[in-house]
Amino acid sequence: MRVAERTTQDAGAPAGVSVEPALRPATRARKRRGVNREGLEAGRRSTRTLLWILLAVAMVLYGFPFLYLLFTSFKTPIDTIAVPPTILPREWTLENYTNALGRSGVVASFINSIQTAIISTVLSLVLAVPAAYGITRYKTLSGRIFIMAALVTRMVPPVAIGIPLASMMATMGLSDTPIALSIAHTTISLPLSIWLMSSFFEAVPKDLEEAATVDGCSRIGALWRVVIPVVSGGIAVTAIFAFLASWNEFLFALLMTAIRSQTTPVVIANFQTQFGLDWGSMTALAAVYSIPVIILTLLLQRKIVAGMTLGAVKG
Amino acid sequence: MRISDRRFALFLMTPAALFLAVFVAFPLFRLVADSFFKISPIAGGPRDFVGLDNYFRAFASDAFIGAGWRTLAYTLIVVTLEFALGLGMALLFTTLGRSSQIWRTVFMYPLMIAPIVAGLLWKFLMIDNFGLIGTLLHQAGILSNPNQIGWLSDPNIVLYSVAIPDIWLTTSFMCLVLFAGLQNIPGDLIEAARLDGARAPAMLFRIILPLLRPVIAVALVVRGIDAARAFDTILIQTNGGPQSASETMSLLIYRTMIRFGDPGLASAMGTLYLLAMLAVAFVAVTTIWRPGKDN
Repeated sequence: MRVAERTTQDAGAPAGVSVEPALRPATRARKRRGVNREGLEAGRRSTRTLLWILLAVAMVLYGFPFLYLLFTSFKTPIDTIAVPPTILPREWTLENYTNALGRSGVVASFINSIQTAIISTVLSLVLAVPAAYGITRYKTLSGRIFIMAALVTRMVPPVAIGIPLASMMATMGLSDTPIALSIAHTTISLPLSIWLMSSFFEAVPKDLEEAATVDGCSRIGALWRVVIPVVSGGIAVTAIFAFLASWNEFLFALLMTAIRSQTTPVVIANFQTQFGLDWGSMTALAAVYSIPVIILTLLLQRKIVAGMTLGAVKG
Repeated sequence: MRISDRRFALFLMTPAALFLAVFVAFPLFRLVADSFFKISPIAGGPRDFVGLDNYFRAFASDAFIGAGWRTLAYTLIVVTLEFALGLGMALLFTTLGRSSQIWRTVFMYPLMIAPIVAGLLWKFLMIDNFGLIGTLLHQAGILSNPNQIGWLSDPNIVLYSVAIPDIWLTTSFMCLVLFAGLQNIPGDLIEAARLDGARAPAMLFRIILPLLRPVIAVALVVRGIDAARAFDTILIQTNGGPQSASETMSLLIYRTMIRFGDPGLASAMGTLYLLAMLAVAFVAVTTIWRPGKDN
């Protein structure tokens, strides 16, 4: 435990701090020249124009594949596989959407996806929040071992545990249920959630719950009434990640579900074999499945960016 | 009565630890145990102990060795390209500063798309006959025939083609992480280098990249592990074909288990795959990342 504290202090001083005073005159000189761009930001107008053009090209290239999927989903089923293909639909129609959503099992698969993702998210949070708190607040040896073990879990290929997991679920009488699949998904999202939540707890000053315990709160009471409200933003971020991990997961869903609990990614993949090459319906269903999460991302982008970069930049 | 802090910490961690033990460690144990048996794919069928036979069979099979090399090549292709592209985009966003923020958000959108959907939409762009890329290159006069490049049907290039959706999906992640790292570089340091006459390449290789090293290490390790496990995008694009040219380890294990009905052999392959991943990750973590050390 003492080792842990010492390394925390070592890492506490960022490399830049000691260099800073010596560089002050440089900053002032720059300010005097009237250039108030910071650090790496480009100053010259011509350079900036060039960079904007570069960004525009990159954005078009990067955004195009999904736009093409959207355009294709509005084509008529025959135009979907026309040779040569056109970018925009010759005729805009919702036929692919009505076809896709009219297939038996498609709407049910949406409900399964939602159910599975919600159960898995709740399970991840219920397990990860106390565990991450135990790891960061008490810095015990077992905590350090545990977070390393959680990290190792991330390396386990799902294909390696999918089959044994499926037979375990069968023994427990959970075959082909959203609960079985959400447990499998939690094996993916739990290590990630522990990792994320640890970073968030790390940022909470210890004085906070010390004050609470002095005021007569139990440790669990302090966690529940004082610390949890402070990290609620972090919990939201973790929830988004756990939800997405389950929503987009395919391999466990393929191995562990049959008809009753099939999620939409499996249905999308099955369009390829079951109904021949039904490209139109596939693109429509893929669009319907992706758009809610893309909108969610755009709405919550700040939080998501924070979550994604937190572990990496701090670690 | 008050239990000690250490006990309390243990008490908080126990549920999560139990969950991982039951649903990850136990299946892994089953996997390793199965690898020593010859198992009939029929439920309740015979189960004979064969010692290390499955391991010998794995090493003797060209499919296994081939899949191992392909997985390695695939991982290197994906990680290298998305690192180069992600760094480029991160530098672009940094040099453009705050005014590019909205585009940074838009650039993130592939991260939310299911890999299966990403594989599907790229297949749709690259597939023979009605694939758009071949047609556009043909119309631009680059190709004499829209099907000249068999993106997904030519065994020599298919491994690169199937990597594209993966790169497209997660370049955003690289970009985000590297961008955050770039924001942490003190502006004065850059300014000093600029005053010393450092030009762009020197600035990049002498100052920016060395300072970003810890961030780069994390990003590469995280993405390397994910890329080595790629399954969805490849399955939907080529199902490992043509002639197994895009069959990576996850696909081979899946097919050995489900299609060829040989769970014993598949378990041996899975065990070896896991051991290789752990070995590589262990080396990477201890040499460059060291997560526990800085916290």
